[in-house]
Amino acid sequence: MIDRALRHPSFVLGLSITLLVLGVALLAMIWTPFDPTAMRISARLRPPSATNWLGTDQFGRDVLSMLMMGARNALLVGVVAVGIGLSIGVALGMMAATREGSLLDEAIMRICDFTFAFPAVLTAILILTFLGPGLVNAILAIGIFNIPVFARIARGASLQVMARDYIRAAQAAGRSTFGILHRHVLPNITGILIVQASVQFALAILAEAGLSYLGIGTQPPNPSWGRMLNDSQTYFAQAAYLAIFPGAAIALCVLGFNLLGDGLRDVLDPKSKER
Amino acid sequence: MIAFLARRLVTLLSTLIVAALVIFCVTEVLPGDPAAVMLGLSATPETIAALRAELGLDAPVVVRFLRWMTGFVTGDLGISYAYRVPVAGLIAERLQVTLPLAIMASLFASILGITLGALAASRANSLVDSALMAAAQAGLAIPNFWFGILMVLVFAIGLGWFPAGGFPGWDAGVVDSLRALFLPAFALALPQGAVLARLTRTAVLEALGEDFVRTARAKGLTAGQTLRRHVLRNAMVPVITMLALQFSFLITGTIIIENVFALPGLGRLIFQSVGGHDLVTVKSLVMIYVGAVILVNAGVDMAYGLIDPRLRFGRGVGR
Repeated sequence: MIDRALRHPSFVLGLSITLLVLGVALLAMIWTPFDPTAMRISARLRPPSATNWLGTDQFGRDVLSMLMMGARNALLVGVVAVGIGLSIGVALGMMAATREGSLLDEAIMRICDFTFAFPAVLTAILILTFLGPGLVNAILAIGIFNIPVFARIARGASLQVMARDYIRAAQAAGRSTFGILHRHVLPNITGILIVQASVQFALAILAEAGLSYLGIGTQPPNPSWGRMLNDSQTYFAQAAYLAIFPGAAIALCVLGFNLLGDGLRDVLDPKSKER
Repeated sequence: MIAFLARRLVTLLSTLIVAALVIFCVTEVLPGDPAAVMLGLSATPETIAALRAELGLDAPVVVRFLRWMTGFVTGDLGISYAYRVPVAGLIAERLQVTLPLAIMASLFASILGITLGALAASRANSLVDSALMAAAQAGLAIPNFWFGILMVLVFAIGLGWFPAGGFPGWDAGVVDSLRALFLPAFALALPQGAVLARLTRTAVLEALGEDFVRTARAKGLTAGQTLRRHVLRNAMVPVITMLALQFSFLITGTIIIENVFALPGLGRLIFQSVGGHDLVTVKSLVMIYVGAVILVNAGVDMAYGLIDPRLRFGRGVGR
């Protein structure tokens, strides 16, 4: 399987991009060329040069350092938001699947259907206004919307697995429901969950960038790609490069996770070709 | 048939009512005293009492909820606290920007997505196909607000073909207004178009393998004629469904894009009202957004039931 994966172009490209972003994010935790929050008004709005590879912003902060720190924040959002969705969503979905057709199943699925009616960004704006803007609350707001996504997928996939003979065999052998879910169902739906997780990861990064662009996500001085794009609009005429790099960083990161998801889908489940 | 429609209508109505209850609780019950929230920390007990009376907050919760619900029928949604004008009028005014914007964006997305998707499918596995699908991947990854900013840099500041933001109003001239909406609509259409292009390509490829394609070619139609008359028509069902289901992404997209281009639409209004704690306006605006999504999804569900009787007994589309 690894062999097949390494020959799959979008998997290889996606993996390379995500590893690059991960590397940059890890590096940013121990080293950046400049302090990303240090302001030097004397060096404001300098175009890219040998000292500041990607130039400086309106406060003289080094854009490359800010971008690197932004990568750390973007990955943090993805990991935690998708983690929230996966842990709660999968538990709910599998619970619904074991009691298919019961009141509990019906209730969980109805609530999932219902949350899809609330546009994510709109609800995130509401949540952030009540809880206050900030990175942690943004992650929470995005994470909540991942729960029904994973609950639905986990339920559907579990039902398919549970119709197989080996589940009946395990039941006959006297395994508990939890034991069956843990030992037989979960390993068999992991593939589809990983594929969805990488898609949701990309969506989470896009959502955080959007919220930060609106000024209610990550708060300054903590750098964020969305916020940098918002700031750049004031300095269009003098410094167009300020609008280029943060957007390119978001797009590259999202592209990486989308490609990884596409590749994983083909590799883990060769029957389902691209939708 | 009638039983199916009746069941769907009951579900639709109950979903709308539950949504309204949730929104009402979040904006009027959970904050404790909405009047205090709206006035902020500097409020005196007298001003809070005055605002409570003005907003009718002294009435019991049930009465307030029913009053709000009937407001959607009578058009009386209260007075916006921040703007000091009736909310219904405010929403109607802002819809004149958001509705055309959303329609233009859907139009751009469908034209681009369907044409390019069909083109890619008809040249499957060629260089054109690979290039188009790579472009679609990029379209999915590029945040639409960044795309909007880039287009402002090139087409507004660089070439001067379009305004960089703002909206002149329909009274000031239809052409100027359409020009102001062009770039934002295009930015909104990018991710939608990319999704549609990928879906159209798959659907067309599937339809190309059907027997009726061979029949059409055998009776002498050219490849292009077959594609337009037979293949595309069959491939359009999933594409149109996706267009409807993406409605929710489209309207949230308008919230961000209207802020990029400083367009006085519903999205900017909701962002400003939330920021200004104008709960009177927020409540009804959110209900309109959520209600629109619920209505569109229910519409797709019912249309499918009408087309395909098998779906009348299942749990609906996409489950």
